[in-house]
Amino acid sequence: MSSKPKIKDLLDESSCEHNKVKKVACNAPTPGATTGGCAFEGAQISLFPYADAAHLVHGPMTCIASSWETRATRTRWNGRDFTQMGFTTDISLNDVVFSGEEKLTSAIDYILQHYAPEAVFVYSTCVTALIGDDLDLICKQAMGKYGVPVIPVHAPGFVGGKNLGSRLGGEAALRHLIGSKEPERTTPFDINLIGEYNVTGDMWQYSHLLDELGIRVLSTLSGDGRVADIRTAHRARLNVIVCAKSLISLTRKMEDQYGIPSVSLSFYGKRDTSNGLLSIAEALGDEQLIERTKRLIAREEKKLEEKLEPYRKVFAGKKTVLNTGGNKSWSIASALQDLGFEVVGTAVKKATEDDREKARQYLGEGGVLMMNPGAEQAQLIDERGAHLLLAGGRSLYTAIKKGIAFADVNQEKKKSYGGYDGLLNMAEDLKNALENPVFKLVARRAPWEK
Amino acid sequence: MGEVTHKSSKPLQVNPIKLSQPMGATLAFLGVDGCMPLMHGGQGCTSLTKVYYTRHFSEPIAIQTSAVTDAIAVLDGGDYSIVESVKNITRKVSPSLIGLYTTGLPETKGDDIRAVATKVDYPLVYANTPDYEGGLESGWAATCKALIDQLVEPAEKVNDNKLVLLPNVSLQPIEVEKIKDLIEGFGFNVLALPDLSTSLDGHLGEKQASLSSGGISVDEIRGLADAGLVVSVGDSMQACAVALQKKNPHIRHQHFSHLQGLEASDELIEILLAETGFTRPHPGVIRWRKRLQDAMLDSHFSLGQTRFLVAAEPDQLAGICQSLYEAGGKVTVAISPVDSPQLNKVRAEKVLVGDLEDAERLADDFDLVVGNFHCEALAHRLHKGLVLRGFPIWEQVGNQLKNDLLYEGGAYFLFECANAATLMREHQAS
Repeated sequence: MSSKPKIKDLLDESSCEHNKVKKVACNAPTPGATTGGCAFEGAQISLFPYADAAHLVHGPMTCIASSWETRATRTRWNGRDFTQMGFTTDISLNDVVFSGEEKLTSAIDYILQHYAPEAVFVYSTCVTALIGDDLDLICKQAMGKYGVPVIPVHAPGFVGGKNLGSRLGGEAALRHLIGSKEPERTTPFDINLIGEYNVTGDMWQYSHLLDELGIRVLSTLSGDGRVADIRTAHRARLNVIVCAKSLISLTRKMEDQYGIPSVSLSFYGKRDTSNGLLSIAEALGDEQLIERTKRLIAREEKKLEEKLEPYRKVFAGKKTVLNTGGNKSWSIASALQDLGFEVVGTAVKKATEDDREKARQYLGEGGVLMMNPGAEQAQLIDERGAHLLLAGGRSLYTAIKKGIAFADVNQEKKKSYGGYDGLLNMAEDLKNALENPVFKLVARRAPWEK
Repeated sequence: MGEVTHKSSKPLQVNPIKLSQPMGATLAFLGVDGCMPLMHGGQGCTSLTKVYYTRHFSEPIAIQTSAVTDAIAVLDGGDYSIVESVKNITRKVSPSLIGLYTTGLPETKGDDIRAVATKVDYPLVYANTPDYEGGLESGWAATCKALIDQLVEPAEKVNDNKLVLLPNVSLQPIEVEKIKDLIEGFGFNVLALPDLSTSLDGHLGEKQASLSSGGISVDEIRGLADAGLVVSVGDSMQACAVALQKKNPHIRHQHFSHLQGLEASDELIEILLAETGFTRPHPGVIRWRKRLQDAMLDSHFSLGQTRFLVAAEPDQLAGICQSLYEAGGKVTVAISPVDSPQLNKVRAEKVLVGDLEDAERLADDFDLVVGNFHCEALAHRLHKGLVLRGFPIWEQVGNQLKNDLLYEGGAYFLFECANAATLMREHQAS
């Protein structure tokens, strides 16, 4: 049987809310009117954080040249950090004509001989998928030769978007890693963190709290992850999906195959972090654990409130408009409210029905759900007298025209906004934005225009 | 010149500095005013490239994708994807030009974009830039040549005051402007192709532009063939100058491998004096030459005791190494991502086509690294000094305004390197 997953099955995920409502007839992107990454990028996002595995991209130069060292997926792996390295076969015209298989074989040999990683992930790309290089066979042979997992990842860019690619990444882990090794020991409170990539150390904002509660992270896919751990993931009691709809297929299949239930949550903002911790405890179903968790939440929230006190004074009475997409349309809104802001509007153009409902809950009846934020946000700022616009770089001009503060929600973060402590980082950044005179000053008229 | 290795013997790239042809093509089209670059390939190539340059320039990047999918790859010869793309782009915006260029995917399946281009009823220039061949420089140059071949109207007469500047891809927007300014000081009307100095120079516009927001206009490109002189900077641009001469054999051509350091700057001035009959350049230029001389002397002590690794595109590599050499900097290792005739001229003990793994292997041979963002981790781990140059530079703002060229930029560049070397030695001593 081919190890290639069936794309069609992955697109028709039964656990996805929207697939229950209606069938999407066509998932094809529109030529000349498409934004967003490809399946290869999605697969990279879901698997690259394994710092003890080498990630070899079998393709031409664009794929890796534009993408290596782009994600700050932190790791405590004390060997060479492969998440910040780029390996590629950099195929040439000759390889396109005569096959790139020989080069791929030599490249895998080279990596295993020079770097001795715990595993090698081999990513196909559009060109090498099109010329039909046999990744499965080459990986199998290398695995036989070196006794190290060499995993083909079939997510060439042209099969779809980032979301599908992340599913395909999860699929590769499921087929080739999960269940291939037994853990040394198990506990009744073993969980897998799925879809937590530990970008800027997000995971470390709450992982010590899990430790304290006696909840053991058996494995992650894939933040600060280890290949040896994900191989034992089938023995966990619970899969925790962190802000990643794309990996629902993986957790559903793990439920089918291994009977592991799952919960989906976010660690963004105070309320979500607290709810997240509690829902893990509740899903694990231990009364004492639930009690411990409630006590810990109370303690942490109190600690956070004290630290937030000086910020609340700055944020009191301040109104914000949020223009982003997906689950951020409510998760950031919730974090902003935790900080004491009033969120007068949020964009829901690129959000699912589910997300819109949540956004409505958080914003209440007075909040505006913008279906056409590009046109609506300026008006909303005027009408409600907003002080801060959180949006993508595109909207900077709107903020400057209105003379209000701006924060780029898409900017590559340097520090984490996750968990309780992350909220303090966010508070500090937003305070700095509000106090910065730059947004008013750059809008000054030039002397010759007066 | 030292020993040159033109080809890597490895079956892979580890920590590459190599970039792709479509990435170079993207930048070239962004140097044309009101252009919409349209990358023909999977949507990821475009998305990754867009983010890549947005982070380097801290500017929005106009670009679209033909979004070829697996099914389309099998069924379509490019006709559907490209024609549809143009339709969808022009429904929302009205570009002055659509810049169509390929990636590896359509080239592998054999799309004939030249034939498709004839079916598009909209101003369009196409370039073949598969990413399994060449690199950043050649993608930029191929696109520049396509702009000349397909847009420039043949001419027979020349206007001696009109000069065409052909900058290589590594010249940052401000550097293009500085060359233009210098030449304009000699009374020329200068047009740069492509011209990033007015598009990606990081200026605050009236509103968010959905097309390239500056650069040479399409009409200006059409009329380039009556220039008296074409000046190419960087060996990658020589073929473009020849292409322009094909439009009008009376255009004369002056070529410079690079414009970094005292000698190269002198050479340009000498030729401009000869061309114009001027006896002296503008007083400001004379002043800056004296400052560069002084900068060379001020920095020579630090540079003279420093061994450099320089990693850059061939044209930039030649310039940086020459500039350092003139003030006594010892470039022990020069790494280029791709082969080029330029490599034979690079002033370095060892010149090789390679990646940052090769740099690491030679770690004992150098103290300070001049290279892109990816060199940061290397410099940090090996405790080397670092001066950031090239694409990409993600952790530093203001890249578009870094000028290393001619007398003025040369002085600043030497100071920066000398200071970085001194700082490094202080760190090592403590």
